[in-house]
Amino acid sequence: MRKPKVALFSLTSCEGCQFALLDLGEKFFDFLREIDLIDFSLIEEIPFPKGKVEIDVSFVEGLPIKKEEINLLKKIRKESKILVAMGNCAALGGIPEMKNYQGRERTIRYIYKKLNVENPEIKEIDNFVKVDFYIPGCPINGEEFLKYAKELIKGKIPEFPQKPVCSECEHQGKETCFLRKREPCLGPITLAGCQAICPKNFQLCYGCRGILKNINPKGFLETLKKFKSPKEIEDNLEIFGIKDDIEKFLKL
Amino acid sequence: MKITIPHIHKIEGEAGFWAKVTKTGEIEELKFQTLLGLRQIEGILIGRRYFEVPIVVSRICGICPVPHILGACTAIESALNVKISEEIILLRKLLLAANIIHSHTLHLFFLSLPDFFNIENDLELLKKFKKESKAALRVRDLALEITRIVGGRAVHPITPIVGGFTKIPEKEKLKQILEKIPQAIEDANLLVDTFKKIEYPEFERETLFASVFNGKNYPYYLEKIVKIGEEKFTFSDFYSVQIEEDLKSPPVKKVKFRGKAYMVGAIARIKNNGRFLTKNSREKFEEFLKERKIKEKEYFKNIFYNLFSQAIEVLYFLEVCQELLKEILKMPLKKEKPEIKFHPSSGLSALEAPRGTLFHYYEIDKDGRILNCNIITPTAQFLHNIEEDLKDFLPKILRLKKEEQIRKIRSLIRVYDPCISCATH
Repeated sequence: MRKPKVALFSLTSCEGCQFALLDLGEKFFDFLREIDLIDFSLIEEIPFPKGKVEIDVSFVEGLPIKKEEINLLKKIRKESKILVAMGNCAALGGIPEMKNYQGRERTIRYIYKKLNVENPEIKEIDNFVKVDFYIPGCPINGEEFLKYAKELIKGKIPEFPQKPVCSECEHQGKETCFLRKREPCLGPITLAGCQAICPKNFQLCYGCRGILKNINPKGFLETLKKFKSPKEIEDNLEIFGIKDDIEKFLKL
Repeated sequence: MKITIPHIHKIEGEAGFWAKVTKTGEIEELKFQTLLGLRQIEGILIGRRYFEVPIVVSRICGICPVPHILGACTAIESALNVKISEEIILLRKLLLAANIIHSHTLHLFFLSLPDFFNIENDLELLKKFKKESKAALRVRDLALEITRIVGGRAVHPITPIVGGFTKIPEKEKLKQILEKIPQAIEDANLLVDTFKKIEYPEFERETLFASVFNGKNYPYYLEKIVKIGEEKFTFSDFYSVQIEEDLKSPPVKKVKFRGKAYMVGAIARIKNNGRFLTKNSREKFEEFLKERKIKEKEYFKNIFYNLFSQAIEVLYFLEVCQELLKEILKMPLKKEKPEIKFHPSSGLSALEAPRGTLFHYYEIDKDGRILNCNIITPTAQFLHNIEEDLKDFLPKILRLKKEEQIRKIRSLIRVYDPCISCATH
C-alpha cells in the first residue's frame, strides 16, 4: 500500500512545535515510519523540490514574515491536498502579533533606529492560503498532534471538540481555581486539549489555543474587568495573538 | 566559481550559505545568511508588564527556552533587588543543566553525527546506530523529564517566574529522577566514546574563546566575570564596553569583541574552565587528547572538536544534576513568594546557554513595565567566527567534488550548533 506523503515546514518561529514532536522520541519516529516524509528539514537533508511535488498532508509552523516565506507557503498550498496550521503562530499570530497592536513603526525603531527592515503586519497563514485544519497551542501538544495526524494522513479532516480548558482543569470548582481568587484566567473561553497544563502548574491560562467557536466571550470578559483593569485584561489578550479574534466576536 | 547552499537543513532555524571563489582559489565573497524574518522580540517587550517577559522571551527559541527564561528572570530580579533563596537557585541550576543536556544530545546525535557517515535521513541513523541512538534518546528523555518536573513542560516551561517558581516539584518525583541518573551516565559514556572515535576533519585556526568564569568551578548560572582569551572583565563591562553589536546587518546583530571574531559554547567553556570538570569527565577529555596524541593547546585550534566538547558536557552536566538533586532533596522545599516592589531601575544577567554566554538586559519603570531591553544570544556572538573559519576552510576543500564540498561546509557550520531563531529573534 502506498504510504501517505507528509511534509513539515517551518516559517519564522521558535520552532518549538517541531521540538514538541521530536520530544515524543520513539513514538514520533514510529509515526515517521508509517509515512513517506517529503520534507522535514530538522531531520533530513534533501532539499524541497522546486518542481511539482504531490503531498497528502503538509503541516506548517510559524509565520510568513519574509516575501520568500509567502511564496513558499503558496507553493506548499498548491502541492498539498491538506494543509494544517501547526501551533499558535501559524494559527493565531502568536507572540509576534503583539507588534500589530503597538504600531509597527514604533516596535521596529527600538531595534533598528533607521534601517529599512522587512516589517510587515503579522498575519496568520490563513490570510495567504486556505487552511484545512488547525492544531492549536504554544507549543502544540505532541500527543494531540499524533491523534489528529493519524486521521489527517487518511485524508480525513478531524472534528475538533469545542470544550473549554476548564473541562480538563484539576482546579475546576475548587478553592484553588484562579477565577475564584479573582485572577483573570482565560480557561472558560479557551479551547481544551492541552490538559490545562498552565493552570495545573499554577499559571494563568492566556488563551494560546484560541477562543471556543460556540460561545460569545463578551459576558465573561465583562466579569474579568471586575477583577482587573480593562487595560490589564487587554494586555492579557494580546500575549498569544487572540485579541483580534475576540474583537471579531464583539463586533457581531 | 559559486558555491551555494540555499537552505542548510538540520540546524535550529533556517539559514543558507553563499560563496564566490576566483579561479586561483581566492574568496571574493562569503556569507552565512540567516533566512528567518525578524520577530522583534525586544521591541515587542517595550511597555509590557515585567511578569510577561519570561513568557515572551521563552518563545525566542523552542530548543533553549530555559536560559532565556532564567536570563530574563535574573536580570529583572537584579534590577528590582528581589532576594532569591538557595532552594530556588538550585532548582534553576538543575533546570539549566537539563536544558544543556537535551540541547547537546539532540545536536550531537540527530543533527551532526550523520554528517560523519554521509547519512541523509535520521531514520537511517536510527537503524545504523541502534545501541547508540537508544542511549542518546534515553539521556535526552531524562533531561526532558527533569524539565517537565521542575518546569512543568519541556518546550516553553511554565513554572519559572520572576521571584522563583509558580509550583515547587514534588520530592518523590525528584527522587525517581535521581535513581535514573546512573543509567544516563552509562549512556553518556557510550555517547562520549562514539564521538571519541569519529574521524574529525583536520583543521587549524586560532580564535578567542569567551565564557563566564570564577576560577573555582565550571560555572554556568549567573556569574560576574567573563573570560575571553587571557583577559577577564566584569560581565557588565564585557557587555557594554568590550563587545559591539553590528546594527547594519539586519535581521541579526552580529557581535565582535574589539573588532575581532570570537567563539562561545561548549568548546569555549572547556577552554576557560576545563580544569574544573568532574573527575570522570576530565579523564574522558584527557583520554581523547592522549589517543589523538595532541596537546590541550592544539585541541582548541580545531573547531570540529566543539562536538566532542558537547559530548563531554553531556556527561559533566549529568553528574552536576546528580549532585544538585542530592542537595535539593536535603532541603525543605516550599513555595516562596518574595516581595516585588517597582522602582525605575535596570538589570543585566549573564549565564551559559547550551550554545554559549547569553546576556539579557532590562530597564523597568515605576509601574513594573519594560522601558528598554536588549538580548545578546550566543549564536549572534559566534556568527563572525563561523565565517572566519569558513574562509580558512574553503580553500582547503576546493579540490573536492561539488557535492563533497557542500557536505564539508554543512558539517563545519553544524558543529557550531547555530540557533537561527535565537540569532534573529
